[in-house]
Amino acid sequence: MKKICLTIILVGLFLLAGCANDQYSVEQQYWYTKKSAEKVFKNPAGSPPAEMEKAVAGFKKFINRYPKNILALDADFKIASLYLVKQEFEKARQHLDSMMGRYNNNPEINSQVLFMKGSSYQMENKWPSALEQYKKIIADFPLTKRGLETPIFIAQYYKNKFEPEKMRAAFDEAIAHYTGLAAKYPDSVAAFKSYTFISSCYSAMKNWPQAVKTLDAMVEKYTGKLKMDAVLMDIALIYKRELKDDVKAKEVLGRLIKEYPKSKFASAAKSFLEKP
Amino acid sequence: METTKIQKPKVINIYGLVFQALKLQPKFFVPFILFVILELIALLFIFVTPRQPFISVLGPIVKAFWGEAFLHYPTNFVLLPRLTSLARTVLSVIFGSLLTGATVSMVNEYYNKRQVKANAGLLNGFKKYLNLFTFVLILTILFFGSIKIFYWALAKYFMAGFKTLLFIKPRFWLGPMAIFINILMGLLIQSLFIYTIPAVMIDNIKLLRAMGRSLKLSARYFGQTITLVGLPILVYIPIIILQYKTSFIINRVFPEFVLVIAIFSAIISALVTDILITISTAFLYLKLKEKQ
Repeated sequence: MKKICLTIILVGLFLLAGCANDQYSVEQQYWYTKKSAEKVFKNPAGSPPAEMEKAVAGFKKFINRYPKNILALDADFKIASLYLVKQEFEKARQHLDSMMGRYNNNPEINSQVLFMKGSSYQMENKWPSALEQYKKIIADFPLTKRGLETPIFIAQYYKNKFEPEKMRAAFDEAIAHYTGLAAKYPDSVAAFKSYTFISSCYSAMKNWPQAVKTLDAMVEKYTGKLKMDAVLMDIALIYKRELKDDVKAKEVLGRLIKEYPKSKFASAAKSFLEKP
Repeated sequence: METTKIQKPKVINIYGLVFQALKLQPKFFVPFILFVILELIALLFIFVTPRQPFISVLGPIVKAFWGEAFLHYPTNFVLLPRLTSLARTVLSVIFGSLLTGATVSMVNEYYNKRQVKANAGLLNGFKKYLNLFTFVLILTILFFGSIKIFYWALAKYFMAGFKTLLFIKPRFWLGPMAIFINILMGLLIQSLFIYTIPAVMIDNIKLLRAMGRSLKLSARYFGQTITLVGLPILVYIPIIILQYKTSFIINRVFPEFVLVIAIFSAIISALVTDILITISTAFLYLKLKEKQ
């Protein structure tokens, strides 16, 4: 009798597992929805409009069915991406605007939405409108991942377009922005990242003394609180490769080995120091 | 058993005996069908691991050993062949040993023209279970140990600065060649000790002596032994290759196809490969014993 009961329970559980509307089955449905959109992503120009409509409808159906699920957010971005790859920029922006309304409590999502909106203008060769969106990210969501990356992204845009004046101005603006952030939120993760970005800005402009100065300030501020071995390595590399100052480079590497003997950079530092 | 001055039996004749036996006595399938059922139950548990309510019990194990990602669709299918193989290994040691012993006992009855009974075969297997279990455990350890040693030696070789081994680059040794190395290693180890269970079950010999006898017989009748073990494995090779290409199957076909392959794998490995190897080598053992 016991065996029969156990068998019935087990069979019931397996049937229950098969029909359950758990996270796994949601993931399964989402995978097949994504799969049907794959054809459009792979060949946006060649895929017929009906296929595009079907893919968008699939994602919308998924969002309506599981609005609170984390995958609904991905589905929302996928719809916007579909419009972008099909170069239906206005529709993409309309969809992104609708997302702003639905996720307005989440700065990370909103910054990403704005970034995508900016990208849509950029793809249309409407840089001023794109820049407007990017500036909005910097102003409204400065502490988000996108908010921190966007100032450098703008400068990089000018660099890639070979517009040195605008590039320099953008880097200067970025440095000022990051310096302001580090001062406003001194003990935050954003402050730490700001120092890194400031150094990257100086490096991009080949202003090596200022890059080293920023990294030095970082080491002074964070030693004892965070591991600074990677930063010390960066300083040593700038001394060695850019400033051609072997004495200073060896001094910094000596400090790295002394303070972080178990660091992954220690062996590279040692072999460098052993070279004549 | 004296093995000198005996005319070597032909593989084709052995296979003739095997197919005739399977035709006349479908009872030979019983232990292997039982094993397939056990394997499919294990597979079912592996398949439902990421689903409610099983995730609360089995999920933490997968999470601890392989990571959280394998509890999500479709990544769970990437892990499925590995877990199935692990389950097969455990089932082989615990149940496969007993069922192989039972089959050999049934073959002995058939060969000596006595009535073949699956129950009697299982009972004989139970009587020698400790020996059978220990033997399959040793064989498993030997297989995985030799694989580990081989790859350790291979890594040492390439780390010493050599660019190729037998004109083959390291990425091939550690990539596509790995499948064939595993198969070859399994084939060799299985061939060397294939007569251990017949020696234990038919001649009532103690385990270590039986293993020694198997080594001697395999060496003397190497061609026949390797053919009888290797031919059925050839049938299984396409499935092994497919199981190594899980990501490809997930992306190009659909994730659930990995499960279909795993089911086929369980059925073919037990009802084609294992049954042919076990019965044919038991017949060869009996033939050699008869001719002594």
